[in-house]
Amino acid sequence: MAQKSMGAAPEALSPHEHPFPPLNRGWGWLTWFSTTDHKKIGIMYMVTSLFFFGVGGIEALLIRIQLAAPNAKVLSPQEYDAIFTMHGTTMIFLVVMPIFIGLANYILPLMVGARDVAFPRLNALGYWVFLLGGIVIYLALFTGSLANAGWFSYAPLSESAFTSRPGLDYWAAGLIETGVGTIAAAVNLIVTVVRYRATGMTWRRLPLFVWMMVITSLLILFALTPLNAGLIMLLGDRILHMHFFRANASGGSAILWQHIFWFFGHPEVYIMALPAFGIMSEVVPVFSRKPIFGYTFVAGSGIAIGLLSFGVWVHHMFAVGLGVPMNAAFSATSMLIAVPTGVKIFNWSTTMFQGKLRLDTPLLFAAAMIIQFVIGGITGVMFAVAPIDWQLTDTYFVVAHFHYVLFGGSMFGLWAGIYYWYPKVTGRMMSERLGKWHFWLAVIGFNMTFFVQHILGVMGMARRVYTYPNLPGYGTLNLISTIGAFILGTAVVLFLWNIVWSFRKGKVAGDNPWDAWTLEWATTSPPPEHNFERLPPVRSARPLFDLAHPELADAHAAQPEGNA
Amino acid sequence: MTTANTTAAKPRTNKHIIGMLFFIGSEIFFFLTLLSSYAYLSGAFGNLPRSSLAVPRTLIFSLFLWASSLTIWIAERNFHRRRFGAYRGWMVITILLGLTFLTGQGIEYTELFRKGIALNYDVFSSAFFTLTGFHGLHVVTGLIMLSSLTGMSFAGKLGPENESAVVSLSYYWHFVDAVWIAVFCVAYLIFI
Amino acid sequence: MHSLYSTANSVLSPASPYAQNIAHLFWVTFWISMVILVLVSAFVIFNLIRYRDRERSSELPPQTHGNTIVEITWTTIPFAILVVLFVLTVQSMEAVTPPKHPKTDPVNVDVVAHQWWWEFRYPGSKVVTANELHIPVGKPIDITLTSVDVIHDFWVPELGRKIDAVPAHPNQLVIEADKPGVYLGTCAEYCGAGHAWMRIRVYAQTPADYQTWLAGQAKPHPAPTSAAEAIGMGYFDGKCAECHNITGSGGSKGQDVGPDLTHFGTRDTLGAGVLANTPADLRTWLENPQAVKPGVHMPNLHLSTSQIDALVAYLEAK
Repeated sequence: MAQKSMGAAPEALSPHEHPFPPLNRGWGWLTWFSTTDHKKIGIMYMVTSLFFFGVGGIEALLIRIQLAAPNAKVLSPQEYDAIFTMHGTTMIFLVVMPIFIGLANYILPLMVGARDVAFPRLNALGYWVFLLGGIVIYLALFTGSLANAGWFSYAPLSESAFTSRPGLDYWAAGLIETGVGTIAAAVNLIVTVVRYRATGMTWRRLPLFVWMMVITSLLILFALTPLNAGLIMLLGDRILHMHFFRANASGGSAILWQHIFWFFGHPEVYIMALPAFGIMSEVVPVFSRKPIFGYTFVAGSGIAIGLLSFGVWVHHMFAVGLGVPMNAAFSATSMLIAVPTGVKIFNWSTTMFQGKLRLDTPLLFAAAMIIQFVIGGITGVMFAVAPIDWQLTDTYFVVAHFHYVLFGGSMFGLWAGIYYWYPKVTGRMMSERLGKWHFWLAVIGFNMTFFVQHILGVMGMARRVYTYPNLPGYGTLNLISTIGAFILGTAVVLFLWNIVWSFRKGKVAGDNPWDAWTLEWATTSPPPEHNFERLPPVRSARPLFDLAHPELADAHAAQPEGNA
Repeated sequence: MTTANTTAAKPRTNKHIIGMLFFIGSEIFFFLTLLSSYAYLSGAFGNLPRSSLAVPRTLIFSLFLWASSLTIWIAERNFHRRRFGAYRGWMVITILLGLTFLTGQGIEYTELFRKGIALNYDVFSSAFFTLTGFHGLHVVTGLIMLSSLTGMSFAGKLGPENESAVVSLSYYWHFVDAVWIAVFCVAYLIFI
Repeated sequence: MHSLYSTANSVLSPASPYAQNIAHLFWVTFWISMVILVLVSAFVIFNLIRYRDRERSSELPPQTHGNTIVEITWTTIPFAILVVLFVLTVQSMEAVTPPKHPKTDPVNVDVVAHQWWWEFRYPGSKVVTANELHIPVGKPIDITLTSVDVIHDFWVPELGRKIDAVPAHPNQLVIEADKPGVYLGTCAEYCGAGHAWMRIRVYAQTPADYQTWLAGQAKPHPAPTSAAEAIGMGYFDGKCAECHNITGSGGSKGQDVGPDLTHFGTRDTLGAGVLANTPADLRTWLENPQAVKPGVHMPNLHLSTSQIDALVAYLEAK
C-alpha cells in the first residue's frame, strides 16, 4: 500500500547517513549528557534498562544454576539471598519501570503531536537521578554486602539487628533516588498529555498507549511516595536506630512495613502492566488492520484498574494473620480487579476477529502475551481466593504467577512494542528472521521455565530457598525449569543482537512501514528534533487512517473538535 | 515551536501550575503514609505525647503558619494586579510568619531533647519527629522558594511573565499549611 | 537421608479436613479457570489461523469499532462467576479458621519460630522439643504461633493452611491429621540464610502412641550409662548449656537460645532437616555446623574428635 507522505515532511534519510538527525549542537557524546530532548532521554532510559536487563538476567541464570539439582552448593545461602534480592529489585525498578518510561518518553509526545514533553529539563533530571539511584543500589557491591532481604525487604529481617551489613542502606537510598526520578517522569508525561495534545485530539481520540501511560503516571505519583516514606522510615530504623518496624517491646510493628510496602507494591505491578496493555492496544489493531474493539471500554477498564489497584494491597498479606473480615474484604476487591483486566483481554482478542492479520513479529508477541497473561491472571484469581492463597503464597506457585504476568505479559508486550516502534526510533526495521527465532525461543524457554513452577509450588516447594531436599519430583522439575531459563536466555541474547544488528543493517523503514494510523507515523523515521514539520488534522483516534480512507471516516469523527 | 497546538496558556491552567498540582498530589500521599503510620503505631505511645507535647503553645505557633496562607493569598492578588511593591511586602510577611512557625517547632524539639526524648528514643519519638520533621523540611523548602521569588522581585527580575511561578508556589505553600492542619490534629489533638 | 524426604507434601494430597477444604476449593477454581483459558486461547489461535492475510492485501476488513452488548456480557458474566467464587471463599475461610468453640477438645501446642528452627511446647505437660511435632490423629491441634526474631511461616501443606509467625503478633493456627503418618512442612517466609533448612516434620500418631511419646518426652534425659556418655554430659554442661537445655543433665538448666536437646536422640533429623539424625551425621554437624548449614547461629566450636565422640554418645542416648 502506498504510504501517503504527510504535508511537507522532509525526505527520508538515505541509509548511508547516520540514522540520528543532526541537531544544532551536533550529536556527539557530550550532547547526550546535556540533552533535554525527550527522544534522546527516552533512548537513554531504554538503553540503561536493557543493560540492567542483562544484569538481572545473569542473576536469574545464577539462581537457576543453583536450583538445578537438590542440595547444590554452587552458591552459598548468603550469596543466593543477595542474588535473588537483586534480581527482583533490578528487574522491577531498573528494567521494567524505566523501560516503559523510556518508551513513553520517546513515543508519547509524538503520539499526541507535541514537540517535546512539558518539562524537558525536569525530564533530563529525572533520567540522571534514576541512573544515579541504580548505581547507588549496586555500589553496595563495594561494601561486600549487596542487599539480601528480598526485594520487599520485610521487617524485622531488614532491620540492622538481622541485616547488619550496609548493603541494604544502599538499596533503600538508591530506591529513594530512582523513585524521585520516576515521579519526575510521571509528572512530565501527565502534563504533556493534559496541555500539549494536538488540536482536535480530544481525550476520546487519544491513542490507548497514551491513555495507559497517563493512568500509569498517576499510579506512579500516588504509589511511589508511600514507598519513599517507608524507605525513609526503614533507613531511620537502620541508621538512626529509630523504632518504626522493630517488633519488640518498644512497640514498633513489622506489619506496618508490609502495609506501607504493599500499598506501593500493588499499584507498582499495574505500573508495570498498564504500559504493556497500552502497547497491545496499539499493536493488535494495526496488525489486524481494524480499529481496537471497544475503545471506550479499553480506556475505561484501564481507569478502573488504576483506581482498584489501590484497594487490593492486603492480598499480599493474607498469611500474616489479620483476621477474616480484613482478608474477606481484600479478597473481594482482588477478585473485582480481574473484571476490567478480562475486558481488555476480550477486546484485544475480538480486535483480531475478522481482521486481516499480518503475522509479523509484533503480533506474534502480542498473541503470546494474551495467552500467557490469561494464565497469569487465572492464578492471580486463585490467589484472590484467600484460602488458596493460604496454601500457595510464598511458594513457587506465586513465583510462577508473577512471572507469567510480568514476563509472559509485560515483557512480551514490551517486545511487541519494541519491534513495532524500533523503525520509528532508528529508521530501520528489525530483522524479521531474528525476530521469529527470538519469539519461538522465548515462548518455549519462558513456558518451560515457569510452567513447571506451578507444579513445584503445589508440591510444597517454598520460595526464596537457596536449595531444597531431594523430595520426589523436585529435582526433575527444577532441572526442566533451569534448562528453560537457558533457552530463554538465548532468546534474550538473540533479541539484543537483533537490536544491535538492525541498527546498521536493518531495512530502511520510511515514515510508516506498518501502515499504522497514529501521529508518530506522520513524521520521518527517526523524527527531526522538533518532531513534526506539519501535523495532519485529528478528527478521530486514527488520523492517518482518515487521511488514507476519507470515505470511511471513523465513528469518532462526529465528535466536536478542538477539545484540548 | 512548530506543534499545531499553540493554544495560548491561560495563567490558571498553565503547565507549571498543573505540574505543581500533580506534584502536590504525590506529596499528599507521602504525608498520608506518615500520618497513617503515626496513627497505626499510636497504641504503643503510652502517655508520652500528653506528657511531653505542648499543645497550646504549638497551636499558637500554628496560627502563625496558617495566617501565612492568608498573607500569601494577599500577596498573590497584588501580583495579579501588578502591584509589585505590595506583593513584595506581603511576601516578606509570609516568610516571617513561616520562620516564626519554624522557631516554634525548634522550641518544641529542643524541649523534647532536653527531656531525653531524642529522635530514636522510642516509637513515639520516631513517629513524631519523622512526621513533623518532614513537614518542617517542606516548610523550609517552601521558604527557600518564596525567598527566591521575593528576592527576584526586589532585584526587578520578577514580572507578569512569571505569573505561573508565583501561582504554583502559592499552591505549594497552601499545601504545606493544609498538611500542618492534618499533622496538628493527628499529633496534638487526636492521639494525645 | 533420602528416605526422610521420600514422601510428597502436596497441597493437593490433603490429609486433613482443613487441607481437604482448601484443595476442593482449588479444584473448583482451577476448572472454572481452565474453561476461560481454553476459550480465550482457542479464540486467539483460531483468529491467527483463520484471519491470517498472507498476501497483505490493501483491502480493509470490516472496521468494527465495538459492540456494547458484547462488552456488557463479558463484563457481567465474569463478575457473576466471581461473586459465586467469593461466597465459596468466605465459607472456606470460616471453615479453616480456628473455631472459637471446637467440637472436640483441641490439643494445644505453642510454636515459637527462631532463626532457623522450630520450638514446640506442650503447655499441659511441660514437654519442650524442636522441629519434629508429634500430634494425635483425628483431633484439632490448636497452635499458638509466635517468633522471637524475624517473620517466619509455619506450613505443612497436607495438614492445613500456612500462617506467619510474626514477632509481637501471636497467631492461631489449627491443623489436624486424618490418619497416622509423617507429614512434611517448611518455613514459608524468607527469614535469612537458613530459611531453606527450617523444615518441619509432623508425626501424626494414634492417640495411644501419642500418649506414649508424650510421656517419654516428659521424662528427663537418660542418665549416662557409659564413660563416653558421662564425659559427653560433662562437656555439654560446661559448654553446650550456654545455648541448649537438656533436662536431667548434670548442671543447672541450660539456656534456650538453641533447640532443647533433652530427647534429641528420639528425633529423625537434626539441624531442622538438613541432616538425618545418625551418629555419623551428628558427627558431621559437630565438626562444623557452618559447613552444613551456612549462617546457622551455632558457631564452629572446633571440637576435637574425642569431644565429638563423647557428645554423640551422650546426645544420642534415648
